[in-house]
Amino acid sequence: MSAPAPEILIDARGLEPPQPMERVMQTLALLRPGQSIRLLLHREPFPLYPILTERGYRYDKRMDADGSYVILISPAGEDR
Amino acid sequence: MSQPAGLSFEQAPPFSLPLRFFLTAPLFLIAAAVLIVLAPEALASRWTPQALALTHALTLGFLTMVMLGALMQMLPVVAGAPLPAPRLVAWISHLSLALGTVALMAGFLTAEPAAYGIGIVLLGGGFTVFLAAAAISLLRATAGVTVNGIRLAVMSLALTILLGLALVLLRAGGWALPAVEFAIAAHMSFGLVGWVLLLVLGVAYQVVPMFQLTPPYPPRLSRWLAGALFALLMLHAITPLFFSSIARIIDVAIAGGILLFAVATLRVQIRRRRKLPDVTLDAWRLGMASLIACVAIWLAAQFWPAWANSDAYPMLLGVLFIGGFAVSVVTGMLYKIVPFLAWFHLQSQLQARAGTIPTMKDMIAERWMRGQFRLHLIACVLLVGVPFLPQLGIAAGGVLAVSAVLLWVNLWSAVRRFTRHGGGVS
Repeated sequence: MSAPAPEILIDARGLEPPQPMERVMQTLALLRPGQSIRLLLHREPFPLYPILTERGYRYDKRMDADGSYVILISPAGEDR
Repeated sequence: MSQPAGLSFEQAPPFSLPLRFFLTAPLFLIAAAVLIVLAPEALASRWTPQALALTHALTLGFLTMVMLGALMQMLPVVAGAPLPAPRLVAWISHLSLALGTVALMAGFLTAEPAAYGIGIVLLGGGFTVFLAAAAISLLRATAGVTVNGIRLAVMSLALTILLGLALVLLRAGGWALPAVEFAIAAHMSFGLVGWVLLLVLGVAYQVVPMFQLTPPYPPRLSRWLAGALFALLMLHAITPLFFSSIARIIDVAIAGGILLFAVATLRVQIRRRRKLPDVTLDAWRLGMASLIACVAIWLAAQFWPAWANSDAYPMLLGVLFIGGFAVSVVTGMLYKIVPFLAWFHLQSQLQARAGTIPTMKDMIAERWMRGQFRLHLIACVLLVGVPFLPQLGIAAGGVLAVSAVLLWVNLWSAVRRFTRHGGGVS
């Protein structure tokens, strides 16, 4: 068996709310140690941030030139 | 505290607060339908006691009931400004709106002064509590086009209620004042165009792009349209008393503003990102088409006095604005709000893990929502025909009744799924 990919990509651009959040929640539950999530979204996911913090995840965000967002999510305790 | 560009769900009130409004509202839609079936002649003229009871079942019992519940949710989440004592305010305003509307309807139907009296006390008291709480919240709210729309809508509601209470007092006492005609005209325009349309407009700026994945409304339009319409409504209420010559120009401007909003909404919806079928989208389209039809019918009345003076003209305008526009859009919104809140509260209560909770789309079966919307559409078409073919009245009322019952069943199905998966309504 090969090692799990270090990063899981969720392309939620153009999905109707709350599907992007549903996908993130489902993926968080499957996350193995050392793995992180790269979320692509057409808008900034404000409601997601407090939920991530509350559940022990940290996030880095970046806005792309086309106005979409790239959010990197990983467990708060892990070094990257 | 507040987030300018998003939704702050930490501020969300308990599910039961808005939910009680949403689950009560369809009962008044059913009551309105039963009134039509029992007294189809109610639709012959807007001044019959049955027509007045019917109108207020729809506007207060259904529309305002849902709109107050939605504001309980939106003021904290969208405007970042929680209501003071939200549980108490929800409890008082829900109960007094429900019982007050029943009393007012009974007053219209029986002309019993006691029923009017109970209605005045309950509606006056309940709205005072709600408006005071909403005013405190709105003073603290984050500025923005949606909050601006809500502010103007709530001010219109206050004016509508004040005028309404004065009119009920006059009616209960059997007095007729010369200015009563103007008061009725202002009560209707602040209620329908001010409260209902301005709230829909303010909310549309936020929810149409978000849920239907459309581009934003043109910023220039969203910045001034609500304010302009409100200013025009003020002029519309005052000018007939002093300068009747410019009243016509103000009416044209109001009709133009309504038309602009309907066309702008249809235009952004055509440019939506994902072209998937969606009941809420169809409900909005029916609503906007009905608004455009209202403007067309009003325009025809400006050129044909015979049409303007007929009984059919105001009835048709009322059916299209209240049934075709407002009830459609509000129903479409209920199909987003209730499943969204059921999903949101379930996932935050259970800290849910993968697969253990239904998604928002699972909360109400799509084909049941679609079926209900089709019945509503048929009811609207039949109701449009009633002013010309009164025999259609019983059929229109019957279809409306089935559609309203199905709306209620659909909303309850989301609540059942919520509790079956361990969600608690508190």
